Amino acid sequence: MYLQILKKDIKRKKTMNVILLIFVILAATFIAGSANNLLTVSSALDNFFEKAGTPDYWFATTNASDMERFEEYAGENGYRYHISRLIQIEPKNVLIENEKFDYSNTLALSTLGGTRVYDKNDREITHINDGEIYVTSFIFHSGKNDFHEGGKIRISQGGIEKEFTIKGYTKDALFGSAMAGITRFLVSEKDAKLFEGEKAAICSSVEVHTKDDSFRDRFNALAINTIMSVDHSMLKMIYFMDVLMAAILLVVGVCLILISMVILRFIINFTIAEEFREIGVMKAIGIKNSAIRGLYAVKYFVLAFIGTIIGLGLSFPFSRAMVSQVSEKIVISSDDNVFINIGAAAMACAFVVLFCYFCTKKICKFSPIDAIHSGETGERFQKKGMFHLEKTHMPTVLFMAVNDVFSGIKSCISMIIIFIMGTLLVIIPVNTINTLRSDELITLFNMAKSDHVISQELLFHPGEDNRAKVSRQLSEVRDMLKQNGIDADVFQEIMFRSNILKGDKRTNSLSFQGMGGVTTDRYTYIDGTPPQNVREVALTFLIAEQIDAAIGDEVMIKVGEDTKTYTVTAINQSMNNMGEGVRFYQDAELDYSYAAGCFGIQVKYKDNPDKAALASRKAMLEKLYPDAKIYTSGGYVTYMIGDVAGQLSSMKMLILSLVLGINVLVAVLMVKSFITREKGEIALLKAIGFKNNSLILWQTLRIGIVLIVSVLLGALASPFLSSVIITPIFRMMGAYSIEFKIRAVEVYVVYPLIVLAATAFAAFVSAQGLRKISSSQISNIE
Amino acid sequence: MEKILEVKELCKTYVVNKRQNNVLKNMNFCIEKGEMTAVMGPSGSGKSTLLYAVSGMDGITAGEVDFCGRNIAKMNQKELAELRLDEMGFIFQQMYMMKNLSVLDNIILPACQSGKIRETRRETVERGHVLMRKLGIIDVADNDINEVSGGQLQRACICRSMINRPAMIFADEPTGALNRSASDEVMEELAGLNAEGTTIMLVTHDVKVAAKCMRILYIVDGNIKGEYNLGRYDRTKLRDRERALNGWLMEMGW
Repeated sequence: MYLQILKKDIKRKKTMNVILLIFVILAATFIAGSANNLLTVSSALDNFFEKAGTPDYWFATTNASDMERFEEYAGENGYRYHISRLIQIEPKNVLIENEKFDYSNTLALSTLGGTRVYDKNDREITHINDGEIYVTSFIFHSGKNDFHEGGKIRISQGGIEKEFTIKGYTKDALFGSAMAGITRFLVSEKDAKLFEGEKAAICSSVEVHTKDDSFRDRFNALAINTIMSVDHSMLKMIYFMDVLMAAILLVVGVCLILISMVILRFIINFTIAEEFREIGVMKAIGIKNSAIRGLYAVKYFVLAFIGTIIGLGLSFPFSRAMVSQVSEKIVISSDDNVFINIGAAAMACAFVVLFCYFCTKKICKFSPIDAIHSGETGERFQKKGMFHLEKTHMPTVLFMAVNDVFSGIKSCISMIIIFIMGTLLVIIPVNTINTLRSDELITLFNMAKSDHVISQELLFHPGEDNRAKVSRQLSEVRDMLKQNGIDADVFQEIMFRSNILKGDKRTNSLSFQGMGGVTTDRYTYIDGTPPQNVREVALTFLIAEQIDAAIGDEVMIKVGEDTKTYTVTAINQSMNNMGEGVRFYQDAELDYSYAAGCFGIQVKYKDNPDKAALASRKAMLEKLYPDAKIYTSGGYVTYMIGDVAGQLSSMKMLILSLVLGINVLVAVLMVKSFITREKGEIALLKAIGFKNNSLILWQTLRIGIVLIVSVLLGALASPFLSSVIITPIFRMMGAYSIEFKIRAVEVYVVYPLIVLAATAFAAFVSAQGLRKISSSQISNIE
Repeated sequence: MEKILEVKELCKTYVVNKRQNNVLKNMNFCIEKGEMTAVMGPSGSGKSTLLYAVSGMDGITAGEVDFCGRNIAKMNQKELAELRLDEMGFIFQQMYMMKNLSVLDNIILPACQSGKIRETRRETVERGHVLMRKLGIIDVADNDINEVSGGQLQRACICRSMINRPAMIFADEPTGALNRSASDEVMEELAGLNAEGTTIMLVTHDVKVAAKCMRILYIVDGNIKGEYNLGRYDRTKLRDRERALNGWLMEMGW
């Protein structure tokens, strides 16, 4: 008998049952997939570092005597360390499939050893054949050159030339992020030796493994001239952008779980409300409450079980798709957590069944007649209608839609929450992407604003007159521009490794000096005044914190072999090396033979050209410097930190599709349920002469109004929430405060319109179902 | 007298489980302007089906239904909706109303949707007030529909059916859900409207209701079995009309 009732029920309420099943599937997929992602992604970096055996401290130096000192010191103190050689290669000497290598940061050839590296299938690379080469993942996937397995890379430097076959890409914990500022191609020992000629610029990469918490301080005390030095936690920060993406994934996961819960709650409430009449009849003929509840519990259990099994199956590809971008660089496996999926799916199933059972609790409270009256006692103390047709000049259909929404706002809450979340899920990544791509971001990298950047970094060799080298290069560019009728400031940032000391506190940091006439007042500071003489400096808040320095304090800074005292005049922020930075006055005397590197040549036109002129000048620079890459400021940042914005863009598309899919389903569900509930009113309106199109418009407008309200609320809240969610991540990187770049048209018009159009269209198509309701059905309305 | 509704060879067939059910069989009748006609008959005889078929709310299987000179059998859904909105008024047994609208808003809703009468919203509201005053429900104009009695609600439905000044009102057991006194009040209002020239066709089981009509069509098994003319309603002769009608209905097998 029960089976018979169930069979009939499933057939008769096909639409609502199918919608419930779809949402259970969706919820199970989202909940199981997102729970897996939450666990996988939140611990991904730690797991990867542990698996790869990354060092507790890493530094690179070109100074042989410093290396000797370190080895002696490490030997005395029993530190375990590994040294590997990094043979610096100028990107212009590399051809990828006979094309110029589109990369201009520090590149090195290296061999296996030390930190373990993994291939695309997360298998450790233990051997490299002669003539084979592995490329780091972020370069392989940059899309700038044609990297593919079996492809050719030709390297010619110092009179040596060799063609390599690309074996694949590496997941390299030490050099795997664009933010490391240096990356490596892995070759065999024999091939590496080929390039270790006399003219080769070789630096030692030293990986130190120690549990000694004071190692950093002891190392700083050694005052070794390093090109780069980072501890384990800072090494992790190099993956900040990947962490950012993972964080977005986590937010998406949490939102999806919340959305699923809201949807399930609504649909279960709604379907049970639909059953009240039948419940009333069953009660009236004497069937016990427990038996009635059992009947519905069985029905919802069957639906929940089927939905959960299907959802569980879908959750695996869903998990993989969501983490696919993060797992390009990091060894990450969502398949390791199968039991998380199963557990989460089981929880989703239990949630549905328990919630249904909880909803049917009302059955006990109601008398048969109350149940027949759909759970309403008829008593109502508040006005239903909020507005009056008599007092408005709105078209009737629009009025009805507005009145329905605002009179029954409670029933629209689920929809509003889902639509707001969807809007935020789309807009927050858009704001982040636009901020990451904005020209203003360059000021967070210890650089002054400029119009173009020529990526023609110089390779500095110890002991050379690097200052003259830079001056010469800048003069040449300036003259070249003048010859072409362009008057511009041409300048460049030179980096030094420096040791900073205040009292007994010391640290090391990258230091910057602008060359080519760029003055310290062209950089941005959080507090204080720019350095105005050779003995004044600005510190980033991170460095100031490390040595307890404040504006007005005196600090000792050692660059190379030279130690001088400086007064701190300003505090600034920097995303270089996660917040490191000392800004020297432009004329401060520094030993350029210790210059560790430089940024691209910045060009700031004096005539403030418009967009079109800037584009033509970029084209001109490309002609003048065919070997260099010309960037806008934003483009240069992208180049330095990797195309995180690009990766976020593809993630944004995935999120957008997901949000549109959810919105469409919610709109279809809502319209279907409204039509089911309002069959009587629809038949009445048809009977008194309302046309189908007017009624379809009424239904569509109702969803549209809810959507407009939600999208508006979402869009208005997005700047604040973007800042709340994303700023802490930038802060971890060293940016104390960041101004979000909000493109009003994109954020407030384009994306809201896309969401609106897709959802409203779904509502419109779904509302076509009311055509089937005939005006004559009014006499059959219950 | 001018014909407002002419029905020729009207057939209505439902197919249920591949079995034909001929609800209306070759019906022929006409209603003249200003008439108040009651359709009576036993349950399942096809009274409501006839009302919905001739008012264009339900399709017909065969035949012709001329309403104001237009064959509604050949009209599409859009034209039928326009016709119902502008030229027909409907009253149902249950007082169907839009839940989220006040009583007055429900009454003026068809007028606001129709373009038949060119007027401002204020003028529409004024007409709504006039009708409500006439039917004695002006006090509940701003009330929610759950705040008024069944009788008041049915009078509001009559107001709604009248708001577009229709050529004809169709009423399906308009007093079926009301008690005797409310039923009498509603029928008095309908009779009054008819006296002012509104054509009315109503379906009823109630002899007291039918006795207020001019003409009675008695339907059995989808055919018109008989027709009885009571003449124009006169309240003073209500008892006589009821007695006469009862007698005729007995003959019909009521």
